Amino acid sequence: MKLLNYLWRCVGSTLFYPLFGVIGLVNCFLVIPLLSVLIRDRQRLQVITRALIHRQFQLFVLLSDGPRIISVEFRGLEWRNPAGGQLVLASHPTLIDVVLLLSVLPQVDCVVKEGVMRNPVLGAVARAANYISNRDPEQMLDECAARLRAGSSLILFPEGTRSIAGEPPKLKLGAAEIAVRADAEILPVVIRCEPQILGKHQPWYYVPRKRAEFLLRFLEPIQVADILAAWDSERQPRYAVNDYLYKLYTGNSR
Amino acid sequence: MYARIKEILVDQFDVDAGAITMDANLYDELEIDSIDGVDLMVQLKQITGKKISPEAFKEVRTIRDLLDALPDQ
Repeated sequence: MKLLNYLWRCVGSTLFYPLFGVIGLVNCFLVIPLLSVLIRDRQRLQVITRALIHRQFQLFVLLSDGPRIISVEFRGLEWRNPAGGQLVLASHPTLIDVVLLLSVLPQVDCVVKEGVMRNPVLGAVARAANYISNRDPEQMLDECAARLRAGSSLILFPEGTRSIAGEPPKLKLGAAEIAVRADAEILPVVIRCEPQILGKHQPWYYVPRKRAEFLLRFLEPIQVADILAAWDSERQPRYAVNDYLYKLYTGNSR
Repeated sequence: MYARIKEILVDQFDVDAGAITMDANLYDELEIDSIDGVDLMVQLKQITGKKISPEAFKEVRTIRDLLDALPDQ
């Protein structure tokens, strides 16, 4: 029975991921360019593209959690503010964290690597969705803070890249700086994957003996101002935000 | 220009003036952080009116690198 389960997950993940890739490609090659031509209004194109991404990632969760290839559990979804204005700061153990997050956050801003922006396929999607490029750090900080202030929600991974399993998270300062500049409300999300799959340096086709269980805990939102009020160090306020997040991500005090 | 950069580092980023040399590593030895680096870049842009490209900025480690990266006046 265990073996059967393992084999099923092998078949599921080796067939399923490429299948998902194909759906993604069709989307990118056909639908988005078509939409980009048909819809002249940038704002409408953005809303529709994001809705499409959201639906597609919902499908991903449905098709991987449903047939029990992996299991995905969300907690604390009630902390999301549908009206927006939240800076979603998530830990980053796996390749599909953003997929899982976008499956429950319909219209949010994301920062996309410049390499992806320039990719002819993915770049077209990211541009249609009006995501933010990380090319110029100064512009990125300004743009992120401006969009938050304008009332949209933004997802950032403060680590900047996937964490290395077993090592303490290395939080970069960009996300914290954006939080401070926008005087934002932070929605922290702690993501765990046990046993670890799709981690840094792990091949995508690795199938563990036990089913991988994803747990995404959305924690009670906190205002940056409240974090800073409790901060008595001389250092820049951005360190207060990182200090706060570090404790959440490592589970040291709550 | 070197003097201006030194002044900014000392006044705004609390860097010890004695530690600043052309070749001291800004991030490791002078202990400014990445966001300070961006700040510094913004100020240099205001002073010189020229912008250092993000690609060049990424490579900057020392004040000498920074001066080299500044576009010629």
